[in-house]
Amino acid sequence: MTVSASTPVLELRQVSVSFDGFWALNDLNLSLAPGELRAVIGPNGAGKTTFLDVITGKVRPTKGDVVFRGRSLLGIAEHRIARLGIGRKFQTPRVYQNLTPRRNLELAVKGSHAPFSLLFGRLDSRQRDRVQQLLAVVGLEAHASQRAGSLSHGQKQWLEIAMLLAQDPDVLLVDEPVAGLSEEETERTGALLRSLAGDHTVLVIEHDMDFIRELDCPVTVLHEGHVLCEGPMEAVQSDPRVIEVYLGVEDSGVEDDA
Amino acid sequence: MAKWRTWLPWLLLVAAGLILPAILPPFRLNLLGRFLSLGIVALGIDLIWGFTGMLSLGQGIFFALGGYAVGMHLQLLALPPGELPEFFGLYGVKALPAFWQPFHSPLFTALCIWVLPALVAGVLGYLVFRNRIKGVYFSILTQAALLVFFNFFNGQQKLINGTNGLKTDTARIFGELVGSDSMQRNLFWLTLVLVVAAWALCRWLTRGRFGDALIAIRDDEPRLRFTGYNPTAYKTLVFAIAGAMAGVSGALYTVQSGIVSPQYMAVPFSIEMVIWVAVGGRGTLIGAVLGAVLINYAKSLVSEQLPETWLFIQGGLFLLVVTALPDGLVGWWRQGGPRQIQAMVGWPPLAPTYPGLDLDPAVQAEREALGSTPGGAP
Repeated sequence: MTVSASTPVLELRQVSVSFDGFWALNDLNLSLAPGELRAVIGPNGAGKTTFLDVITGKVRPTKGDVVFRGRSLLGIAEHRIARLGIGRKFQTPRVYQNLTPRRNLELAVKGSHAPFSLLFGRLDSRQRDRVQQLLAVVGLEAHASQRAGSLSHGQKQWLEIAMLLAQDPDVLLVDEPVAGLSEEETERTGALLRSLAGDHTVLVIEHDMDFIRELDCPVTVLHEGHVLCEGPMEAVQSDPRVIEVYLGVEDSGVEDDA
Repeated sequence: MAKWRTWLPWLLLVAAGLILPAILPPFRLNLLGRFLSLGIVALGIDLIWGFTGMLSLGQGIFFALGGYAVGMHLQLLALPPGELPEFFGLYGVKALPAFWQPFHSPLFTALCIWVLPALVAGVLGYLVFRNRIKGVYFSILTQAALLVFFNFFNGQQKLINGTNGLKTDTARIFGELVGSDSMQRNLFWLTLVLVVAAWALCRWLTRGRFGDALIAIRDDEPRLRFTGYNPTAYKTLVFAIAGAMAGVSGALYTVQSGIVSPQYMAVPFSIEMVIWVAVGGRGTLIGAVLGAVLINYAKSLVSEQLPETWLFIQGGLFLLVVTALPDGLVGWWRQGGPRQIQAMVGWPPLAPTYPGLDLDPAVQAEREALGSTPGGAP
């Protein structure tokens, strides 16, 4: 049910990754339909981050293929994959601490990233508007000219999400977007991600089960480097295999290890 | 007031450029000119290390290449037509080696001074950066390259007079001996202009989004890559620019020292260059120039009085900067160092309100919002 009839925008075909004999990913198959919102969960060490590394070109799969819009991504440099339209938010917020939020966004905003266009070109009004708009979306307008390193953890999380949006990728890979956020911030992040789906394809990795439930989207469970099961949250939660490897602490509730 | 503050440094600079040659003895002026020219190589190091995070211990390569370019030209210029530079006779060389020929041309030399080091740096940099060699490995690699060049130049008696180097004082430019006081004064002015030009170039490079990208490479290179940037292109470009600046610096240093020799590629000298930048202040352009001039002036003053102590003082300075002033003298000044000293001696500077309120951007934004609504709180 998770794969729609249209051709997938991103597809992992039997991907395996071996680190010195340890199989971080093991025959992983996954496909994302255009405009889909998908959550990926899994216990620690299930290969969630390696899975993003494979898509974004940081790690080359030992076996298998990653296909984006009918084109294999194997052997393509990270920055080219990013330019093709795959954006990534990291697990711990990675913003440029010594630059202001505005300058962080100005670096990320969609446009040419070649040295000479940064030297001789200027941001056009559309790009400047976009930066301003994103600052407003993530509530950092008042902090736009302060060092990003002095922002709070939640503000950094949001700044990084804004940077991802500034890139305007087709596929957003979001690693633990609500780690360390307050309840209200978590709620707003969920609403933001839901609003992005449709125009963008969004893949969210999270530990926070309440948040996943709030996203109300198909869930893929990873375990020991491969897909254990896929389906809506309720179905996944009641799947005996999932309960066994991951959720099976209590019958009624779900352990939240975020 | 603000205008005054912008213009004051420039006025002082011009005044210094006019007054110093009149009041300093030629020997001191020549020293100052040499140290200022070292400020240019320091600016290049600041660009690649302070901003981009690449610690090169091999800038001496490019420095010496610039020096040799101008040295070869002046050797040829000092000769009556048809003769060879004297040292060739010692090694039985009868004809001028082919690569010396283009250095008859002043235009070629003027280009070679910066283009050749930029090319060498660009090629070396590209190979290194493409393979994602960085951090300590990059530093070791540049030092190894420096040693290779040092040993090669030392051994080439028949081509460039090997370890003895090339002297430049006896050539004449516009009928004037290069080593003469009036020519040295002109070279001082030329150096001053070029230091300002190099500073302006670096400032232009680091101010806008390009500079932000360099800082992003320094702070989190993989992150920038996932944003769609190719750091290799940036690093290669910046390393080539720093190489070109080192070449210009070396050429100016050579004509004011009267000689270029493989000693310019000695390992300690390239390390000293890094120390100038560290002491002056990484990531603060003016700090690089100040560091180069101040440390070298201190070195020459101390060495005149107590020749054995300089290395201890230099080492001590470096330790002080690493442990107490991580952003160098200029960084310390900009981060309110003088106010801290003031507070330490029991005379704290007065603040009109709680500093926390004045610095908090959210409070400031709120204050503006309140101020703009009619009847809002004062």
